[in-house]
Amino acid sequence: MQRYVCIVCGYIYDPEIGDPDVGIEPGTPFEELPDDWVCPECGAAKDLFEKEA
Amino acid sequence: MAVRELKPGVYSVGAIDWHRRLFDELIPLPHGTSYNSYLIKGSEKTVLVDTVDPSREHELLSNLQKAGVNRIDYIVANHAEQDHSGTIPGILRVYPDVMVLTNQKCSGMLVDHLGINEEKVLTITDRSTISLGDRTLEFIFAPWVHWPETMFTYSREDKILFSCDFLGSHFASSSLFANNEAKVYEGAKRYYAEIMMPFRKSINRHLEIIKGLDVEMIAPSHGPVYEETETILSMCREWVSDSVNNKVVIIYVSMHGSTEKMVSRLIETLIERGISVRPFNLTGADMGELAISLIDPATIVIASPTVLAGAHPEVAYAVSLVNALRPKLKFGAIIGSYGWAGKMVEQITAMMSSLKLDMFEPVLAKGHPGETDLQAIDHLADEILQKHRDAGLIK
Repeated sequence: MQRYVCIVCGYIYDPEIGDPDVGIEPGTPFEELPDDWVCPECGAAKDLFEKEA
Repeated sequence: MAVRELKPGVYSVGAIDWHRRLFDELIPLPHGTSYNSYLIKGSEKTVLVDTVDPSREHELLSNLQKAGVNRIDYIVANHAEQDHSGTIPGILRVYPDVMVLTNQKCSGMLVDHLGINEEKVLTITDRSTISLGDRTLEFIFAPWVHWPETMFTYSREDKILFSCDFLGSHFASSSLFANNEAKVYEGAKRYYAEIMMPFRKSINRHLEIIKGLDVEMIAPSHGPVYEETETILSMCREWVSDSVNNKVVIIYVSMHGSTEKMVSRLIETLIERGISVRPFNLTGADMGELAISLIDPATIVIASPTVLAGAHPEVAYAVSLVNALRPKLKFGAIIGSYGWAGKMVEQITAMMSSLKLDMFEPVLAKGHPGETDLQAIDHLADEILQKHRDAGLIK
């Protein structure tokens, strides 16, 4: 599954891990994250993420 | 230095730093700057919106004294950076009853950066309000309009948006309002280019939020206040838009004239093809000017001699800045000369990881560029022209 990188701080969202701290189950694709999900490292919104090359 | 009135009961009480010439030890300030702090005297509560750089603490305190302020109920911290929050400790010392109003994220930063006692901070939530009696202040979170904790404060009855760094300019002026407009807007553009450009998607979102407010005046934390808001807002919309122009910015250094000769040929051939060119000789260049030139060109050309096995350090420095600013460039090329061999192209390419450019074939000349090398430059200009045409940038 496609990983996404936060352009602000470099955090990588890995869909295989999800973001369990805020209830995002492993296996959740980036596209299915809720609109108000933010980078766990720096708080950047979803539109500040880019597909990992 | 002086207390000035924006609207009845709303005052500018900050400091003008006429002679500061460098910010963050990086960014030249040709027009100095100001650290704006605003005092709002409500019928029941008195509020200070942001403070000043700690080096100017005495000015803020003296202005408050001149304004006859005996009591401040709240300081609103829109942003934790020291040029706005650095005098909060000084205010707390002189006005011990004051409470700091800010968001959770900023609260932590105020503790970390300024050692403010957490018990002096009241945290507020996005779009929450406080009443000053005859006035209502609304807090609008604006994360990554520069920093993760940045926010705006909106005075509903005054219709003033206190936008902190957003829409600000490094511009020292004795005038409270933006009346020397060409210079002020140039300063605002420079300010956007230097610190806001990486966050243009976030800014776009917040421009939409501002559209939903009835704003008559924008009072940023650097530079003059905008009495007329549409001009600066529409300029900002243009800066953050996805559109690029039929322009090439060329950054270069030349040691013995070889790279310079290639750059000169490229400038000439691009102009002949109807493409705007902005060359920057990096020796002694103003990095703010470079940042401005990156706002809307489609293409960047990086031109460097090879020093030992890599790029000239001035070029490496500029490329690292370009990479950090994340301009909306689409195409890129590396050209230059070398004495024997080296890894200049690989090195520069690796430094541009965040730019996602469609790269042209590099043009490298061994020693002084000969006719074949210059023809390769002409070919590069043709390719740039073709890409700009394909992208619909040339009619």
